[in-house]
Amino acid sequence: MDILVLIKQVPDPEALVEIGSEGKDLNIEPKFAINLFDEYAIEEALKIREAHGGKVKAITLGSAKAIEALRTAIAMGADEAMLIEDEGFAAGDGYNTALVLSRALEKEMFDIVLCGRQAIDADRGEVPQMIAQFLGLPHVGVVVKLDIADGKTVAESAFEGAKEVIEVALPAVFTAQKGLNEPRVPLITGVMKAMKVQIPKLTVEDLGLTRDMAGPGGSKTKILQYLPPKKRPAVQFIEGEPAHAAAEAVRILTEVERVI
Amino acid sequence: MDKVLVFVEIKGDGPRKVSLELLCEAARFAQNGRFSVEAVCIGRLPDAARDKLLSYTEKLVHFTDPELAVYSPEGYARALAGYAREGGAKMVIAGATGIGRDFLPRVAVLLETGIASDVTGANWLNEPMTFVRPMFGGKVFAEVVFSTSPVILTVRPNSFAMGEAQEKGGEYIEKTAGISPDTIHTKVVRVEEASRDTVDLTEADLIVAGGRGLKAAENFNLIEELAGAIGATVGATRSVVDAKWREQADQIGKSGKTVSPKLYIGAGISGAIHHIMGMDTSKVVLAINRDPNAIIFNYANYGIVGDLFEVLPAMTQELKKRKEG
Ligand SMILES: Cc1cc2nc3c(=O)[nH]c(=O)nc-3n(C[C@H](O)[C@H](O)[C@H](O)COP(=O)(O)OP(=O)(O)OC[C@H]3O[C@@H](n4cnc5c(N)ncnc54)[C@H](O)[C@@H]3O)c2cc1C
Ligand SMILES: Nc1ncnc2c1ncn2[C@@H]1O[C@H](COP(=O)(O)O)[C@@H](O)[C@H]1O
Repeated sequence: MDILVLIKQVPDPEALVEIGSEGKDLNIEPKFAINLFDEYAIEEALKIREAHGGKVKAITLGSAKAIEALRTAIAMGADEAMLIEDEGFAAGDGYNTALVLSRALEKEMFDIVLCGRQAIDADRGEVPQMIAQFLGLPHVGVVVKLDIADGKTVAESAFEGAKEVIEVALPAVFTAQKGLNEPRVPLITGVMKAMKVQIPKLTVEDLGLTRDMAGPGGSKTKILQYLPPKKRPAVQFIEGEPAHAAAEAVRILTEVERVI
Repeated sequence: MDKVLVFVEIKGDGPRKVSLELLCEAARFAQNGRFSVEAVCIGRLPDAARDKLLSYTEKLVHFTDPELAVYSPEGYARALAGYAREGGAKMVIAGATGIGRDFLPRVAVLLETGIASDVTGANWLNEPMTFVRPMFGGKVFAEVVFSTSPVILTVRPNSFAMGEAQEKGGEYIEKTAGISPDTIHTKVVRVEEASRDTVDLTEADLIVAGGRGLKAAENFNLIEELAGAIGATVGATRSVVDAKWREQADQIGKSGKTVSPKLYIGAGISGAIHHIMGMDTSKVVLAINRDPNAIIFNYANYGIVGDLFEVLPAMTQELKKRKEG
């Protein structure tokens, strides 16, 4: 099984995010991590390799700094990595990201593409499905279980309340959801290896794309401005003994807010 | 007139609530005569669901190919994109449900256009139209415009108000998309429906959620009883799910579900940012925590500082009293 894992370097979930220059930019605290859901994707790829043999390759579209995410993937156990270095495209919309990554995938041999369910920076949850469509491949989304046996691939997809068990023909794209596995912590030997390994870099031109296709001019959608979340008015404490406060809360919810 | 397609999703015997919300919102913004709205249903459509949909739309197009009887991202995307292309649709909208978010990105690629996912607000009459969607788990919102057509959107449930059903029914049209079986490479072997009859968290109007302050799985009956008294869906924090007190499907937050109810009641929840990210677009929030400095109070409209083991049963009792009285 040759497995490609698409991983994205995102701001750490704890990083401060502030709106700058009158809504035109975001100021994000420079702490980075591999997208949470992509860690499940890496772990699953390693598990499949352990069971069936083959090779795991991690691919990122990002800035030069994103190579750190690839090193982490190698430290966890990925065999190879590749960085497509282009900040313009990396900051673009889901369509452009998927376009670049699908071009890169066209040059690879693979049975399985594993992605995260959603990148926790832009919260789009679009790129894997778009890549699948660009390549004419099937995909199974929000996967919580993946079984490969007797030439059959069966994935369990957790859509909202229901679980669907889906048989899919390979090659195919899967998006990993929490619950799929427990990502391993890299061993020190892995970390040593990752520090030394040479990670090839590609440019978008290598993929037959031009830089002016990215950014505001080339994206299909663009962000006009950033807005703060609606501020809730300061909390109103409902005072008194528990029984009294409870009755007062029910009164407010029924008579003032009229939500129940 | 610009054609707008609203993908409608069926669950059980009826259309999903978000589908009706979108039909109502589309009818509202179409009032100026610039847009014509069609509902598009793919696959299974029980009579009751069809009749209900026809009282919310002037035109319902139903794709009936046997290949589309069960959901597949490849089949649904082809059918919807094909119909959008054929009619020159300017906008394709679906609920940001599991299925909507799963296949609309494929529709965008088929139509060589962009998508705005999980939209929570829109300026339909701006030129160009703008859409608002959360990023970073709702820490900021982005206002998005399209430079290509058609506009493809998935819209978060409970973002737009439901309207009234119409007396006069719309037109119903059956179609086939001409999907051949070999275009679909997935096969649904089995579906395990959630074993409960309450509305899914993502679409719920009312939610009562519990955290580690409940101390044990069996104490969730306090949450369930309050939820039962108002017809709410039960939610939980990750700590509670990790402790196996509740199922993963109940988890609200960054690595769980995003909810947007009219009322969110949270008890024994500290208010960690990862949890807040999943519920901060709730309209009214009531938090119950014995610690007056709990962070959740920063994200609540109303707060009760007290022991949930006393407050929750008292609320349930008060609700029962009001119902009887
Ligand atoms: C990457 C990542 C992703 C995460 N994703 C999620 C997610 O999706 N959803 C999520 O919820 N969390 C998530 N978390 C975990 C999150 O950070 C918190 O740990 C979790 O939300 C805390 O759960 P809690 O409020 O139930 O428990 P606690 O933080 O332990 O809070 C319990 C609260 O109960 C109160 N309490 C105790 N006894 C009583 C009583 N008798 N009466 C009233 N109040 C009482 C306490 O004062 C306290 O405030 C994530 C964490 C990480 C690192
Ligand atoms: N720039 C990127 N480089 C590599 N993979 C990406 C990139 N952007 C998105 N992905 C993959 O697509 C998934 C969903 O991303 P998104 O659609 O942006 O929410 C991520 O979890 C990654 O697996």
